[in-house]
Amino acid sequence: MKKEQSRIKPYIFITPALFFIGLIILFPILYTFYISFTNMSIYHWFNFEFHGLNNYVKALFELDSGFITALLFTCLWTVVNMGLQLIIAFFIASLLNHKLLRFRGIYKTLLILPWAIPGYVSILLWKTGMFNTEFGLLNQWMNDLGFESVRWLNKDVIAFVSVTVVNLWLALPFMIVIMDGALQSIDKSYYEAADMESATILDKAFKITIPLIKPVIAPAVIITIFTTFKQFDVIYLLTLQPGAQTGANLHTIITYAYENAFITSNYGYSSAISTIIFIILVSTTLIWNRSRRGVAHE
Amino acid sequence: MSKKKIKKLITKFILNLFFISIIFITLIPIFYAISVSLSETNSLVSSEFSLFHLDLSYNNYLELFKNYDIGLWFINSTILAVATLVFALGISIPAAYGFSRIKFKGRNSIFKTLILLNAFPTILSMFAIWRIMSTGPVVLVNTRIGLVIIYTGTMAIFGIMNMKGYFDTVPNEIEEAAKIDGASDFQVITKVLLPLAKPSIIVTGMMILIYVWNEYIFSITFMTGEENFTLAAGLYSLQANETSGSWPIFAAAALLTSIPVLIIFLLAQKHMVSGLTVGGVKA
Repeated sequence: MKKEQSRIKPYIFITPALFFIGLIILFPILYTFYISFTNMSIYHWFNFEFHGLNNYVKALFELDSGFITALLFTCLWTVVNMGLQLIIAFFIASLLNHKLLRFRGIYKTLLILPWAIPGYVSILLWKTGMFNTEFGLLNQWMNDLGFESVRWLNKDVIAFVSVTVVNLWLALPFMIVIMDGALQSIDKSYYEAADMESATILDKAFKITIPLIKPVIAPAVIITIFTTFKQFDVIYLLTLQPGAQTGANLHTIITYAYENAFITSNYGYSSAISTIIFIILVSTTLIWNRSRRGVAHE
Repeated sequence: MSKKKIKKLITKFILNLFFISIIFITLIPIFYAISVSLSETNSLVSSEFSLFHLDLSYNNYLELFKNYDIGLWFINSTILAVATLVFALGISIPAAYGFSRIKFKGRNSIFKTLILLNAFPTILSMFAIWRIMSTGPVVLVNTRIGLVIIYTGTMAIFGIMNMKGYFDTVPNEIEEAAKIDGASDFQVITKVLLPLAKPSIIVTGMMILIYVWNEYIFSITFMTGEENFTLAAGLYSLQANETSGSWPIFAAAALLTSIPVLIIFLLAQKHMVSGLTVGGVKA
C-alpha cells in the first residue's frame, strides 16, 4: 500500500505542470507539425487537404519563397549583433572596472536602466520618439544641422542599422552586467605580475582578460545568441506592424513565419517554416549541450 | 603637483566624462519621452520640441485618465499578472520539487524533453493556440482565463528549470530529518524547503510578473474588446504615427507602464543575478 503510494506520488507533483505545458507548448508544436503537411489557409480553414512535403519543398528549394533569404538574414543579424554586443560590452565593462573610477555603482545602474523598461515600450518609444519622420528627435537634429529628413525605417540598409541600434540598446545592459561580473572574478594579482613584466594594455587584454572571462561568459553568450536568433519584437514593431509597414524588407525567420501565418494567412506553409525553425533550434541546443558536457569531462 | 598626480587626474576626468556622455546618449529616448509627456500642448504640429523645456504640465497624464481607460488597463494587466503568478508558481513549485527530490521512472527524459520544448519560440505556437482556443469546445479567445492559461504554460518550464536548479543546491538532510519526525510531504515543502529556497522563488515570481507585464503580442491578438485591454494593448492602440495619434499622450502612457517594472527592477537588482545564475537559465 505504502509502496504503491510512493510510486504514483512524483507524478502527482509533476502532472499539473505537465498538463499546462502539454496544452500550451507541446500540443501546438505537434499540431503545427501536422498542419505543415496540409494546405490550410484562410480559404481552406476547415476543408484543408494533405499536400505531403510541398510546403517544405517550397521553403527550402524555391529560392524566391523568401525563407532562405530570411534564414541568411537571420544569421547575418545574429553575427553582427553578437559581435557588436561583445565588443561594446567588453569595452564598457573594462572601463567600469578601471581602478580610478569612483561612482561605478551609479554609472552601472544608469547604464543598465534600459533593461528595466518593458521591451515593447522601449521599441515603440524609439519608433515614435527617435525615428518618426515628422517629429522624431533624429530628424529634428538632421533639420537643425541643415540636412533633409531621413526615413530611418524605410530602406533595407538604413532600416537594418536602425533596428540594430535599438536591439543593441535593449540587449547591451544584460551583456554589460555579465561582462562586469566576469571581470570582477579575475584575480588582480595576474595584472600585477603582468605590470612587473611591463606588459602593454593589449597584452593584458588578449593574454589575461579575454582567456579568463571566456568560460565565465560562455553560457550567457550562448543564451544571447539564441535570443538574437529568435528576435521578433524589434523588427516586427519597428517595420512590420499591420497597417504600418515601413517598406523595409527585413525578415528574420520568426517574423517570416509570423507574417505567413497572421498576415497572408498561409497556415500550412507557415507551419512548415515553424517546424524547420524548431529543428534548427533543437539540434543546435543538443549540439551545445553535448559540447558542454565534453568540456566538463576534460 | 607631481606629473603622476596630474596624469591620474586627467584619467579620472576622461573616465567620468566618458561615462556621463554615454549614459546621456543612452537615456536620450527616455529623456525625450519624459520631456514630451510633460509638455503643455498635446499636439505636435511643429518640430519645435527641445529635449528640455520649462513649461511643465501634467495635462497629458490627466487626459490619459479622463479620455482613455488607462486605469482599467492597469487593473487588467495586474489581474493577469497576479493570476499567472499564482497559477505558474502553484504548478512549478511542486513539479520542481518532484524533479529535484524524488527519483522516478522517466525523470531525466521528461526533464530533458522540457528543456528542448523550451527552444520553440512561443510566438510560433500562437496560431495553433488560437485555433484550439477559438474552435475548441470552450471558446477561450477574448477571455482573461485564456490568457492566464497561455502565460502559465509559457512560464511553467522556466519556473521548473530555475527552481529545480536552486532546490538541487539545498541540502537534503534537513528534509530527511523532518520526515523522520513525521512531517508530511506538504509540510516538508512549505515548512522546510520553501523558506530555504526563498531567493529563487522570489526571482522566479518576479520574472513571471515582468513577463506578463511586458507581454504584448498575445494580449493584442487574443483580446479584442476595449474593456479587456491590457496596458500593452492600450499602449499599442495609442501609438502615434505620421498621420494620427498623439505622441505626448503615448509618451506619458509608456512611462506610466514602465514604472512598476522599474521599481521591481531597482529593488531586485542585487538578487537578480544570483537567483538566476544558480538555476542556470534565463527567461
